[in-house]
Amino acid sequence: MVRVPIEVFRGGAGTPNRFDKFELELEEHTPILTALLKIRDEIDPTLAARYSCRQAICGSCAVRVNGKSRLACVTQVGPELAKRGKLRIEPMGNQPVLRDLVVDQKPFWDRYHRIEPYLIPDPAHPMPVGKENPMSPEQVAQFQETPRCIACASCFSACPALDSDPDFLGPMALAKLFRFVVDPRDGAFHQRLETVQNQSLWLCLRCNLCVEACPKDVRPAERIVDLKWMANQEIGKREAGSKHSIGFAENIQEGGVLNERRLAMDSLGLLGTLGQLPKAITMMRHGRSIKKHPPIQGREQLDVIYNAMSGREDLQHRPMSGEGGVRGKAPPPTPPAASPPAATAPTAAKPRPSGETKEAHP
Amino acid sequence: MKVAYYPGCVAQESGKELDMATRAVAPRLGIELQDFPSFSCCGSGFIDESNYALNTALNARNLAIAEKAGLATVMTVCSTCQGMLKLAQRNLAENKVLRARADKVLAQIGMEYRGTVEPKHMLQLIVEDLGGAEKLRPLVKRPLKGLKVGAFYGCHILRPHDTMNFEDPEDPHSFEDVIRALGAEPVDYRGRVMCCGFPIQFVRPKTGQKLAGKQILDAKRNGANAMATPCPLCHISLDTYQKEAGREVGDDLQMPVFHFPQLVGLALGMDPIALGVKRHLVDTSSALAKLGTVGVPA
Repeated sequence: MVRVPIEVFRGGAGTPNRFDKFELELEEHTPILTALLKIRDEIDPTLAARYSCRQAICGSCAVRVNGKSRLACVTQVGPELAKRGKLRIEPMGNQPVLRDLVVDQKPFWDRYHRIEPYLIPDPAHPMPVGKENPMSPEQVAQFQETPRCIACASCFSACPALDSDPDFLGPMALAKLFRFVVDPRDGAFHQRLETVQNQSLWLCLRCNLCVEACPKDVRPAERIVDLKWMANQEIGKREAGSKHSIGFAENIQEGGVLNERRLAMDSLGLLGTLGQLPKAITMMRHGRSIKKHPPIQGREQLDVIYNAMSGREDLQHRPMSGEGGVRGKAPPPTPPAASPPAATAPTAAKPRPSGETKEAHP
Repeated sequence: MKVAYYPGCVAQESGKELDMATRAVAPRLGIELQDFPSFSCCGSGFIDESNYALNTALNARNLAIAEKAGLATVMTVCSTCQGMLKLAQRNLAENKVLRARADKVLAQIGMEYRGTVEPKHMLQLIVEDLGGAEKLRPLVKRPLKGLKVGAFYGCHILRPHDTMNFEDPEDPHSFEDVIRALGAEPVDYRGRVMCCGFPIQFVRPKTGQKLAGKQILDAKRNGANAMATPCPLCHISLDTYQKEAGREVGDDLQMPVFHFPQLVGLALGMDPIALGVKRHLVDTSSALAKLGTVGVPA
C-alpha cells in the first residue's frame, strides 16, 4: 500500500470551482476510478463522477489525470504517482462542467452527428435486402482501427485545436468519418470528402495528442492525415489547407528544399502574400532576408521519385496499406479453413515510456 | 561522434540562426557534423498530406544518403524533421508495399535503403548517446543563473510515442534536465507539450496564433522569463509571430524564445551574436541581461 495524495476538481452547478485534497492508502495498481469511488463512498458522498462498466468498454469514465486524458477505470495510480508525486484529477477538456468530474458531452456528440455516422448507399447500387453485403478481409482491414472507438471523448478532451477553434470537428468525428469514407458499402465517398474538405479537415494540428489519449489505439490524427490525402487526390486544391499541402509538394520538387517565397504565393495567393509584406520587412530588418536556396545536389533524382510516386492512388483500396495493413499494421491472420475459428493475434500497443500500457485489441 | 547533419529547410533559410548555433555548439559537445548537400526536405508534415508514398520515398532517399556514407546517425535540429524521418523509418520497416515501392524507385536512381541509420534530434543525442544531460555540467562556462526557462518541445519530437521512441509523450523531462544542467531553472507548465499552432499558420492564422499565445502565456504565468524550443517551426510561431499571438490572447507577451542549441551555446560561454539572437523578432536582451552578457537590442 502507498499513500496517494489526490486533488480532485470540484465545481459546477453553482458551486465554486476548487480542488479538494484527499489522501488515500492504495495499492499502486489500483485504478483511478476505484480511488474516486472510495472518496465518494468513504469521505465525501457529494463527489460527482460518471462511470458504468469499469472495464474500458462503455467509455463513460474519462477524466484528466495530471493533465492527461484517460479512462479512470483502466489507469492505475502507480505510474502517475511515481512521476508527479500526486494525482490531480480534472474533468475532461473542451466540454462544459456539469458538476465536479461530470461534463456535458453535447459538443462531442453534436460533432459526431454532423458527419452522418451511418452508411449512405449509392443509389445506383442499393444495399441488398434480405442477404449479407459481404466485404473481403482486405477491405475490412482498411478501417480496422476506427470501429474500436468507444466514444469516450478522451481524444476530444485532449485536442488543442478544439480549444482554440469551435469550427473543428475534432479527432473522434473525423476518425469515424474516415471509417465511412473507406467502407466499400458506403456510396457517399466523394460527397463526404467534399463536405469535410470545405469544413474543418485542415484545422487538425497533427499534434498527435489524440493518438496518445485514445485508450483503444484508434490513432485519430493518423486517420485525419489519411482523409487529407484522400481529399487532396479526390478534390484537389480547394482552400488554404489543400493549396498548402499540394503546393508544398510541388515546391520541394523544384529545388529539393523549401522555397519560402513561393510557398506564400502558392498557399495564400497574391493578396495573402501582400498581407505578409510587413512581416517580411520586419524579418529583413533582423537580417532574415528570405533568399531562394540553391537546388540540392541530385535535384533531378527527385523528378524520378515524383514521377514514380505520382498518379492517382486507388482511394477505396488504399494501396499503401497493402500487405502491411493500414499504415503498416498487420491485418489479423486468417485462420485455416479447416480449423475451428482461432482468436486473432492482438496488435498490442508498445508500452509507453511513462510505464502505462494501452489495451491490446483483438 | 560523427553524424550526418540534417539541418532542415528552415535552418538553411529564414531560421539560419539555428544552423549557426548548431555548428558552433556541436564540436564542443563532441559531435562531428558531416554535411550532405544532397539532402532534401523531409516533407514537413505537408507532403504526406497530398501524397503519402511520395513523402516516404523522399525520406528513404535522405536516409539512404547517410547510410551510403557509412554513418549510423542522422542528427536533426527540428522536431518536425525528426518526426517525419522517424515516420518514414517506421513505414519502411513495417509496410511491405510501401517499402517495395520505395526500394524500386531508389534503385532507379542508383540508391539503396537498408534501414541501418537512426534519425535523432540533437536533444535526444545528448540524452541517449552523449552520456545524458549531466555530462553538460562540466562544459558550462556561463551558468544560466536567473533564467527561468519554459521548455517547449514541439509535438513531433515526442508523438506518436511508438514512432518516436523517445520519452513520455505527454510529460517528458529531457529538455528540463538539460536546462537544469545548464544552470537555469526549468518552468513546469502544461503548454510545454502542446501545439504551437504552426501547422495551421497558413490555413487559419488567427487560430494558429491564438494557440502560440496560449502556450507563451502559460509559460509566463508559471514564472518563465524565457522559452526555448528544439523546433524551428515552433520558433516561428513563438518568436516571429509572437506579436500577433499576443494580440490573440490579449497580453503583451515579450517573451524571449531561444533555439535549443542557442541555449546550450549561451551556457558554454559563446557570444550571443554569434549564436544569432539578433535575428529573433522578440528582443532577447531581458534574458541576456540576467546572464551578465551585453544586452543585444533586437
